[in-house]
Amino acid sequence: MKIVYSWLKEFLPDAPGSARLEELLAGLGLETESITGLTAPHSRIVFARVLAADNLEGKEVRRLVLDIGREVQVVSGAPNARAGMGVALALPGAVLPDGTELGVRKIAGLESYGMALSAKELGLGEYAGGLLEFAPEALPPGTPLAEVWGPDEVIEIEITPNRPDWLSVYGVARDLAALGLSLVRPHPKPKTTPLALPFGVWIEDTEGCDRFTLSYARGVRVGPSPLLVQRRLYAAGMRPISNVVDATNYAMLELGNPMHAYDAAFIGEGLVVRRARPGEKLVTLDGVERTLDERDLLIAVKEGSQTRPAGLAGVMGGAEDEIREGTTEVALEVAHFDPVRVRRTAKRQGLKTEASYRFERGVDPEGPPRAADRFMELLQSWSEGVEVAQERLDLNHTRPPQPISFRPSYASRLVGMDYPEATQREVLERLGCSVQPSVQSGVWEVTPPSHRVDLGLEEDLIEEIARIVGYDQIPTTLPSFFPHPDNLGVDAPYEATERLKQVMAGLGFQEVLNYAWSSPQECELMRAPAPSVYMQNPQTPERTALRTALYPGLLKNLQTALAQGEEGPFLLFEVGNVFNQAETPRLSALLLGDAVPGLWQKGLGGGFFALKGLLEAAARNLGSRVRVEQEVAPYLHPGISGAVYWNDQKAGHIGALHPAIAAALELPTVFLLELALPLRKGPGTFTDIAKYPASMRDLAVVAPERTPYAEIERIIRSSAGERLEKLEIFDVYRGKPLREGEKSLAFHLTFRHPERTLTDLETDAFMQSIITALEQQGFAIRR
Amino acid sequence: MNLEAALEEIGKAPTLESLQGLKVQYLGKNGLLTQEMKTLGRLAPEERREKGRVLNEWKEALEKALEAREAWLREQALQERLLQESLDVSLPGYAFPSGGLHITSLILQELVGIFRKQGFSVVEGPEVESEFFNFDAINMPEWHPARDMQDTFWVTFDPGPGFTIRGPFGESVNSLGGAVLRTHTSGMQIRYMIQHTPPFRIVVPGRVFRYEQTDASHEAMFHQLEGLVVGPDITMADLKGAISELARGLFGEEGKARFQPTYFPFVEPGVQFAMWWPERQKWLELGGAGMVHPYLFKAVDDYREQQGLPRAYEGMTGWAFGMGVERLALLRYGIPDIRYFYQNRLSFLRQFRG
Repeated sequence: MKIVYSWLKEFLPDAPGSARLEELLAGLGLETESITGLTAPHSRIVFARVLAADNLEGKEVRRLVLDIGREVQVVSGAPNARAGMGVALALPGAVLPDGTELGVRKIAGLESYGMALSAKELGLGEYAGGLLEFAPEALPPGTPLAEVWGPDEVIEIEITPNRPDWLSVYGVARDLAALGLSLVRPHPKPKTTPLALPFGVWIEDTEGCDRFTLSYARGVRVGPSPLLVQRRLYAAGMRPISNVVDATNYAMLELGNPMHAYDAAFIGEGLVVRRARPGEKLVTLDGVERTLDERDLLIAVKEGSQTRPAGLAGVMGGAEDEIREGTTEVALEVAHFDPVRVRRTAKRQGLKTEASYRFERGVDPEGPPRAADRFMELLQSWSEGVEVAQERLDLNHTRPPQPISFRPSYASRLVGMDYPEATQREVLERLGCSVQPSVQSGVWEVTPPSHRVDLGLEEDLIEEIARIVGYDQIPTTLPSFFPHPDNLGVDAPYEATERLKQVMAGLGFQEVLNYAWSSPQECELMRAPAPSVYMQNPQTPERTALRTALYPGLLKNLQTALAQGEEGPFLLFEVGNVFNQAETPRLSALLLGDAVPGLWQKGLGGGFFALKGLLEAAARNLGSRVRVEQEVAPYLHPGISGAVYWNDQKAGHIGALHPAIAAALELPTVFLLELALPLRKGPGTFTDIAKYPASMRDLAVVAPERTPYAEIERIIRSSAGERLEKLEIFDVYRGKPLREGEKSLAFHLTFRHPERTLTDLETDAFMQSIITALEQQGFAIRR
Repeated sequence: MNLEAALEEIGKAPTLESLQGLKVQYLGKNGLLTQEMKTLGRLAPEERREKGRVLNEWKEALEKALEAREAWLREQALQERLLQESLDVSLPGYAFPSGGLHITSLILQELVGIFRKQGFSVVEGPEVESEFFNFDAINMPEWHPARDMQDTFWVTFDPGPGFTIRGPFGESVNSLGGAVLRTHTSGMQIRYMIQHTPPFRIVVPGRVFRYEQTDASHEAMFHQLEGLVVGPDITMADLKGAISELARGLFGEEGKARFQPTYFPFVEPGVQFAMWWPERQKWLELGGAGMVHPYLFKAVDDYREQQGLPRAYEGMTGWAFGMGVERLALLRYGIPDIRYFYQNRLSFLRQFRG
């Protein structure tokens, strides 16, 4: 919302300068987005009256004869230039806001004494499609425009959706006045005449429209608005159209009530407010034909037993009944509509107007008569001969604001500072609330003013007190209490994840965080599950769904890193959520290259067993056990792929990226893992430090090439008995004297008894039991 | 045997092995001196005593010489080894990988750490959220103009595999309305309150999503930290205390907080807070806060009742805040473009180490 400083000052004569004003506004909750200076036009830009506008044969431009106290000739290409209008003329020597300096120029063979200006050239607005038009008698010809357009400022403030009462110059002034500035209250008083009203008003839907006023004026002459008005409208971001339309906008910007002026000659017997019929059509002012349904509220013109749609209530008027050049009679609608209905209609129609913006937030239902008076007053002051009807149709079904039970003690308790009751009462009354005692002691009945539609709860009033006294007055305290026991331990999942991230980072992995988005195409390419969550409004074709796995993101990170020539090795990890049949957390990690790269020495730690080793190190760090069993995951190389068991619970997969995916992504051999979180916790138990010596044996098992290590390990562990303390593989041998297709796995086995030294005989018996078990499964022992 | 010659020989022994040989030659079982010792028994007592004394002196002299030579030889060997073994320690060591956390994780860790010191617990919530928790329950019904403040990503579920949004007790909440990528972490206020009894204090870090065109200062995905404290007598002054502590935790003892009124549907009174950054002498607008709106307490108690739990929030007061995480990092490090965060360029990420 753009507030013109001089306009605000009309209501707040004591308003401080804009810098201090910005601070006061911030204290009220109004954030200033910008303060822009409006400079006075250059002294060589003057008011001129067009005496003649002659077409030049075969030329696009016209020759204008202008009166600036003397006659001058200007050549102009503006389509709206015509005799009798007032314009702004930049004389030779004038400098335009964009820096252009004017002189006498030859255009189309004619000498042009300066240039007639559009709003854009004057630096007022964006409109450059024609000359800015003034009334012919607006100023004595030749008067510098700077005399009426002095320096000014535009303060752009951000209005929060709860405060529609701020959507006007007076509304902002009124709130500032609560800080103690004196306020000039508007009391518009048009001169009225007893005239018979030529129309009636009927409201068929009083829920959609609880107030409707229709006022009447005649003797209107449509023409340009005064200079000051035009400049203020431009500064507020609106384009002047004509005095009648400008008066509706000016009164709305000033007082906050949207309004609509009809050519009274076209509204027949009067207006009906009713629901639209399904499929009913209306061409709105913007020229768009709109198809409506029964949820939309219409203003319709009554023509006998029929009604014809004339406007979308609270959103936009119709094209048929708008003010035109020849309009002499005006019917002015100032009404109040249901905010939710307006919002829904505006949303359905994709129409956001100054009116709908205000109505959907909440307009003062008591405002229409005053706003209508202001419109009429403006119209009368801008042109002569306007007769305003004394009578006004005012169908009022509004309910007065309800009182709120308010405890001053609660205000102090909620904010945490002591507000004296007198202060609280004063603040509420300054804001326009009525404060009455109630039957209960310590409770007041506070009735907010009609323009404060946001005040409905005790807490709303407390904010008012805190805001006007000042948020900077609130002290700082730290509460101390014991949380309710059902809050204990809620950190555990977060802590586990953080610990896991720390361990991964400590092992040398760099964390990445990828977007949650993916697409069915990407999932297919990466052999990840097809998405189950899709975007209704995807931003890009790559972001049509949510990811079903983390590793595709890591692979894309790797692609980028390689393309950018980033330095390897690449150890990446991510902890994040994936979206399959539900949202679940995952860990994924990737390794490319030797974990310890060669510099002047040989590198080490590459390949599958490096990634697996890092996983095992992570598990040890987390007090957990991990094992991998042969199992093929779709995205992994079928020969280098395994299921990861974390503390004996299956958590995911580890392996080499499937060569087909690697080829499609033009990646070298990459090793990766992906685990579902949370990981099962380790036992976390304590075993006393060994007091008796261990007994060690070696064992070499001959097995077919296909037999996984894990199977042999399982047989040994399950047959060794509980004294087996440790099992380590120290060699995998292939070759003579073994047969083709055989391998030998050699183990160090450590046995120990916690309470005594094991005898050789006992250890021999454990070994025998292992050997028997292995042999029963068909494995030979190498001796 | 000739002592002089023996001592000279020992003193010249070139290696430890040769020295060992000499030791055996003189003092071994059949060594020269040992042989001589064995003859003592055959001598007359007078003579025996005299010769014995002499031989013992010889033995001591030999042993001393052997020891000295051994020490010398060992020292020599050591010196030689030290010379041989010298490394150019200025060469770089093995390039063990140095991992690290993402800058967002680091900043979140710092923020969360400041609150944990004040006794806050940390919880997290889902990114695909029910319209009910993201909007309706926090006083932003469908018709509320405040919904325009946040451009929302709406999502649909594939009917085949389907997708379930789980409520606080694991129940499906798919029927409570549409589904969105959460636009803020504020929905977790509702989820947490439904599940727990006040008083408590929590913070909630998490990713959020806004349908925005991305540019140097706008991302469609970013992170927030949400805070919530509820109890029988929680005040706005407590909120100011917590935000002040955050400012001090981030910026040292000169850090402080500034409150200005603003509007969010889920708080009343509403606050926009800024923190004073002493290093740059400026206020940083970092987030919004306020006293929990009574509408939320009611929505929570209604849900609890449906789940067979007692109403727990009548008469309670509380405060909540929410702040952007990336923004703090952008300002602190002078990062020119928020899109750097999730492009995951290693030359960016590797610069931030905690």
